Amino acid sequence: METRHVVDLLSDYLDNTLSESQMQEVTEHLKKCSACTTELTQLKTLLNAFEEEEAITVPSEKLRTTFLQQLEEEKLAAEGIVTLNSKPVESNFQWATVFKVAASVALLIGAFQLGKYQQQETSSVTIAALENEGLEAKQTAMLSLMENQSASKRIKGVGYIDGFANPDEAIVQALADRMQNDENANVRMTAVEALDKFTNSDSVKEAFIAALKTEKDSGIQIAIIAILVRIQEKKAVAPMKRLLEREDTQPFVKEQIESLLPTFI
Amino acid sequence: MKELTDENLMRQVANGNLDPLKELFERHHKHVYNFLFKMSRDQMLSEDLAQDVFYKVMKYRSSYNNGNFVSWMFTIARNSLNTHFRRNKDNHGDIADLEGRLASEPEEQKETYSHLHQALEKLDNSDKELLILNRFQGIKYAELAGIVGSTEGAVKTKVSRALKKLKIVYFENL
Repeated sequence: METRHVVDLLSDYLDNTLSESQMQEVTEHLKKCSACTTELTQLKTLLNAFEEEEAITVPSEKLRTTFLQQLEEEKLAAEGIVTLNSKPVESNFQWATVFKVAASVALLIGAFQLGKYQQQETSSVTIAALENEGLEAKQTAMLSLMENQSASKRIKGVGYIDGFANPDEAIVQALADRMQNDENANVRMTAVEALDKFTNSDSVKEAFIAALKTEKDSGIQIAIIAILVRIQEKKAVAPMKRLLEREDTQPFVKEQIESLLPTFI
Repeated sequence: MKELTDENLMRQVANGNLDPLKELFERHHKHVYNFLFKMSRDQMLSEDLAQDVFYKVMKYRSSYNNGNFVSWMFTIARNSLNTHFRRNKDNHGDIADLEGRLASEPEEQKETYSHLHQALEKLDNSDKELLILNRFQGIKYAELAGIVGSTEGAVKTKVSRALKKLKIVYFENL
């Protein structure tokens, strides 16, 4: 027990790193313990071997020259970084970037808003023209509104038909065109309602029949059917029958047609 | 004039004054080189790695945490060495394979290895490393603990055990 304890202290004993009391303890123990003394001798030999070999290998001069060269390069690089990174410059630089980006964004939004505003301007000018100028001008304005990119503007244009007691052929044609070809169902529906007042015109009747052949929206189909039945347009029978045969026709449209077909005399 | 401590010099370096690195290099490059050489027995490799250690000290100067400089430097050296051995595992096998390399090398060269070194090569890599750092580089237990990431007490016990193992190997082959 005691022996093992001292063995553990032997290297420190040789290194002279023990406390005074420990030193004394080991010295006392070594006097009466041969095993520990042998241990000490071996350890001394071993540690001496370390010391002898301490005579070290020296690295080549290249290690130093390369290091000094790297150091000089780093100093140059660091100076470069210092100028770039020195506080005011850095913050200026960043703010400049922020302002540049902000300016671009502002310009973009500004340009967009200007474009939008100008389009609105044109539209309001058109609307104003409708209200204040002569019939011909109104007609032109209405036609141009119906060609507008915005579906709501086109609906507005179609709705202006109310201002015309006897619209000329161009307007009726334009409305018929909206009814048959507009991509927006609401515009087509408005056109149907607008044309409802001009069913005495043959071209309008033709337009309704043509629209019934192509219209896919069930609501509009029913509206057109109702009009055609009311005016007793015989030419509508064939397209209505065809709708009955078509698979993609909504059941309630078919019901409507079936209930109305007998009313044609 | 009182000589500045390693830590003092390194703090200056960390703050952007690179010149004190020259002094640190002069003080320590031989130790680093010898640690690497004793671990690898390869002069060319040790020089390359020692170069790398001082380059890293310079590059990562701002990450110096005001701790013991020697510990920090040897931590870098150790990592460089481990990285090297990991990278070359396919070629060299593990670092433990050094023993095999030793055996396969020509007789004359084997004789140039001291008896102590042949004994050291028979130890675990970690035991060998601890003894080299502690005995050759004179690194104290406290610093050693910082290098290998352990406590002073645990390192002291490990070094003591390693020394015992070495003694057995050393004397049985004498």
